[in-house]
Amino acid sequence: MNPLKVIEVEFEGRLVKGYAVQKNGVLWMHAEGETWTAETGRARKGGGKSKAGSSANPGEILAPMPGKIIKISAPVGQAVAKGDVVMVMEAMKMEYTLKAAVAGVVSEIKCAAGDQVPLGALLAKLDVKT
Amino acid sequence: MTKQISYAASGAASGASSERAPKLAIANRGEVAVRIILAAQELGLTTVLLHSEVDTGTRAYRMADEKVCIGPATTADSYLRIDRNIEGALAAGATMVHPGFGFLSENADFAQACVDAGLIFVGPKAETIRALGDKISAKALIEKANVPTVPGYAGKDQTIETLTKECDRIGYPVIVKAAAGGGGRGMKVIGSRAEASELISSAQREAKSAFGSAIVFLEKYLDHAKHIEFQVFGDFTGRCVHLFERECTVQRRHQKIVEESLSPSLTPELRTEMARAAVGLAEKAGYQGAGTVEFLVQDGEYYFLEMNTRLQVEHPVTEMVLGVDLVKAQILTAMKAFRIWKQAELVPRGHAIECRVYAEDSYNRGLPSTGELLGLHWPEGPGRRYEVGFEAGDEVTSYYDPMIAKVIVWDEDRPRAIRKMLRTLDDSVIFGVKANLPYLKAILTHPDFLDGTMTTQFISKYFPEGLEARELSGAQTAFAAVAAAGAGGANSHGASGSALRAGSDALSAPWSAGWRFV
Repeated sequence: MNPLKVIEVEFEGRLVKGYAVQKNGVLWMHAEGETWTAETGRARKGGGKSKAGSSANPGEILAPMPGKIIKISAPVGQAVAKGDVVMVMEAMKMEYTLKAAVAGVVSEIKCAAGDQVPLGALLAKLDVKT
Repeated sequence: MTKQISYAASGAASGASSERAPKLAIANRGEVAVRIILAAQELGLTTVLLHSEVDTGTRAYRMADEKVCIGPATTADSYLRIDRNIEGALAAGATMVHPGFGFLSENADFAQACVDAGLIFVGPKAETIRALGDKISAKALIEKANVPTVPGYAGKDQTIETLTKECDRIGYPVIVKAAAGGGGRGMKVIGSRAEASELISSAQREAKSAFGSAIVFLEKYLDHAKHIEFQVFGDFTGRCVHLFERECTVQRRHQKIVEESLSPSLTPELRTEMARAAVGLAEKAGYQGAGTVEFLVQDGEYYFLEMNTRLQVEHPVTEMVLGVDLVKAQILTAMKAFRIWKQAELVPRGHAIECRVYAEDSYNRGLPSTGELLGLHWPEGPGRRYEVGFEAGDEVTSYYDPMIAKVIVWDEDRPRAIRKMLRTLDDSVIFGVKANLPYLKAILTHPDFLDGTMTTQFISKYFPEGLEARELSGAQTAFAAVAAAGAGGANSHGASGSALRAGSDALSAPWSAGWRFV
């Protein structure tokens, strides 16, 4: 009835009991009251995938989740301060504001209101003030 | 069809029992649909699930006796469509409709449409919903009943200019809310004039998309308040009782996360006074069925917030401390087959807590997580209760609310109930999507929660960005080594049930750098 695989491991003289399931190159594990995952390396190479919703470049705004763009608040050419709202998106019936991580000028908007965007999609670029 | 109408016209289920057996349609989905199906099946009613195209892979779908598809996944085209829900219920030969919570549950037009179609609506009368469910007219009603309310604006003029001006008058912080809403959708706190117009229009859009009406109202935002609500219940004769209070102070973006009954915050005097106010309002409104009167409590004063004319998500904590079944009571009341409890019979015992398990990333700002549930495990135990809408293999989609389950515990007192909840959450397993179990445990072990002094600012004050990343324990590292060895080498015939010893070489396996808590 339950597809969970039970695993028991001896550690420092005691038995640690938990569960694991693997699918699509990700191994899900639960032991001692917590759940964690590991990429098993078969499906994906290179790692670092865990940060799909955030960019190393602070001038890039990426979709933090799959959802719909509701409104572009700062069009191309607009100067924004750190924390200013650049656009608004909706996912799971809640609105989320996407804010500028740094001060700058909006140089590119790569989506439009009404667009459905996937996780990690590049939505806007800022020319960062230096 | 004629039979249906004459049945409704007779007004009483007993009068129609010789003609046709009562049959309950459920105009909802997820765990509440499961809850309603269970109650109805205990009562010997046939159940009909009115569901969207994508909800065939859900527990409620598997449990319902009959199913009718009422449209595509998008709620505006299915669960929020009055006409399709009515058509679906009639097509299946239902005699009653239970709206659950959310969706059409507080929609007076839907309640009226049910009656017009010859269906019994499980809930208060359409005119009661209209008077109370719309928060603007509810406020007027409660002012007549002499219950204190929070200063605010609830006018017809909905232009940004007027609303901004009213914000200035009330004084910041101000909260903007959907007049037709609930559940945090269409609610924003405005901290200063600078952000007023942006947040008001955002709230209007959320309100429109979630409830079909963009009308909002404004209120002074109480910044160290507690959210305390009274469960009320009216029977078909017009008699109302209260079923004590729930404290739902722990909220994020105005969405409740942890609820309990009774509240650790009320003095007996304040409890008595608020209960009297809640019952007074219900009686004035001619309330029938289950309803909830919500208050904010700050510095020993209480303010009416809103009345929800439906079952609440957190109803199980009330059921646990009082030993009642609110959903069965709702159905029986609608069938005019139940005279409610006497107030003196309702004596709470012990303490109950509910945690809402959401599909979201505890370690990354609570971002929603979707996908296939690869495994679920909800270990039973004394005083533990789970309300779950999914089974392993089902999918959490971005179409609907991200709640996977509700975990409820009961114990003799609050400290014991907290300990039981922590253990229950430790034992609960969700694979496939990220869940907020670590977040819930961090809440339950926070000093402010433990001593019951948390306010509605609790989450934004202590957990604004979710949790800090953590390290695996030694035992978990050893466990992971064995699990990965089993998965990597021979996934299909793993180490099921047999104890393996973690070797030191396994700890340097390539996966070891890539783990993360979910």
